[in-house]
Amino acid sequence: MRHAFSVRIGPVGFRIGSDWRAPIAHLETLYRDYPKPLDGVPDFTVRLFARRPWRRFLRPSVEIGGDYMLPEAAPLPLRQGLLAAEMAMNLQMALGARRYLLLHASAVERDGRALLMTGVSGAGKSTLATLLAAKGWRFMGDEFVLLDPATGLVHAFPRLISLKNEGIAAAQAAWPDTRMGPLLRATPKGDIRHMVPDARAIAAMDVPARPALLVFPRYGFDPETRSVQPGEAFVRMTQASTNYVALGEAGFRGLTGLIADVPAIAVDYPDGPRAIEQVEALWADL
Amino acid sequence: MDDTRFTQDPPNPDAAASAGVPSRRRVLALGAVTAGAVMSIRPALAQTAGSVLNCEIPVPDASRAGSYIDADGKVVPARTKGAFPSSPRPFKGEEVKRAMANGSTLPGTDSERSRAYVKYIRRLQRGQGGFTCFASLQMPRG
Amino acid sequence: MDISVYRAPPSDGLLIAPLDEFTAVYHRASGITHLLTDPAPQILVAVQDGARSLDALLVHLGRDYDLTDGTREALAARLEELVEAGLVERA
Repeated sequence: MRHAFSVRIGPVGFRIGSDWRAPIAHLETLYRDYPKPLDGVPDFTVRLFARRPWRRFLRPSVEIGGDYMLPEAAPLPLRQGLLAAEMAMNLQMALGARRYLLLHASAVERDGRALLMTGVSGAGKSTLATLLAAKGWRFMGDEFVLLDPATGLVHAFPRLISLKNEGIAAAQAAWPDTRMGPLLRATPKGDIRHMVPDARAIAAMDVPARPALLVFPRYGFDPETRSVQPGEAFVRMTQASTNYVALGEAGFRGLTGLIADVPAIAVDYPDGPRAIEQVEALWADL
Repeated sequence: MDDTRFTQDPPNPDAAASAGVPSRRRVLALGAVTAGAVMSIRPALAQTAGSVLNCEIPVPDASRAGSYIDADGKVVPARTKGAFPSSPRPFKGEEVKRAMANGSTLPGTDSERSRAYVKYIRRLQRGQGGFTCFASLQMPRG
Repeated sequence: MDISVYRAPPSDGLLIAPLDEFTAVYHRASGITHLLTDPAPQILVAVQDGARSLDALLVHLGRDYDLTDGTREALAARLEELVEAGLVERA
């Protein structure tokens, strides 16, 4: 493992080792303004490796490994090495995080209060968070929200924003001068491009926020907002968490606390700008 | 964080009754015999799977490569009449998810063969090759 | 005649969080979270402070609640669900 890179994102430090220079070079460039792990000690290790020594050169494909691994994870071609690194970091969090309850959601913050957006792939979590950040909200993350079960606060985890297909153009329109990773065509999840969060998001990554609104967005529908009852919201959030079960009692306290304190609204929207309007209206009514 | 949210009392205790004021007691419906009042939550890796797992499902799994798949998705000996040969390449998680979500055919197959393959995938059990990938594709309830 | 008695974990064995028509219950011994609707939470609480037989439970609930259409069979079915879920023990 001849190439390595370390970075801290919010409260979590990673060390990424790689058999190839290219993915590390991308990480160094895109995460250039981020801090290093606290005291130089990472929380998770990621390994990007070749299954056989000759596969470093011949049809090079990147296997994902690290502290936590899943069987049957298929390799990615080297030109998608940055995606492999990002997925590997997600995997470490999904399987290994124990300090915080992980919610699969994006989050933005205003006046110390956080708006959480959760849903399946394609619902618009990343794109909406990006558009809201362009309107003055502080970006906290687009993949995982870190909920502290003891305090009920959410902590920022602002990784590179993973934009897909039409979301790429929408985000670029909102952030024309922002640094982006390479356009990765035809990945298993479609076309993907990574965007660096804005300077304010990086500077404020250690500032938590109190969750104030939980939104379940759905892209490509006539605009409509409706309340989601606590029981339903609770079940949906257990499905949206990767470590709810592993956290046991703390997970239960954290999630029931969130549901008790935070209204949940389903937002159907036809396009980004309309969604922003709907969300701003909901926030104003809190 | 306060614990007052957690109660050992059932929801909505009858406040008037405890104040000693005679009142109609709250109705408690025991429900029909066939109704259900208890659901156990078993969440899975499902929702985040796309972000963490690039996976493949071979049809059938490697230990039975060369066998055929019948129309019910069961693995049968090679060249069984009416059954389909195993897939020459594994299917990506995203391809399987799409086929299951909207009934489209798996790439490189016709509709009958695709249906047989999908049935095989649905029947995967823990321990069989492709199960983790399949389990991670499950859409959550609710 | 069914002489079984039913018992739930003592109060520190469960965390009970009413949400709306649903109540979330965390069972400490198993680490499993269950979602209950009425009358399950009420039954659970009624067998926490001591074991009760089916008939005793029917009487106990009848004191605190109006069991208008409650039948013994329905209560038995609810208890069965709670036993299946591991929340109530039958002895």
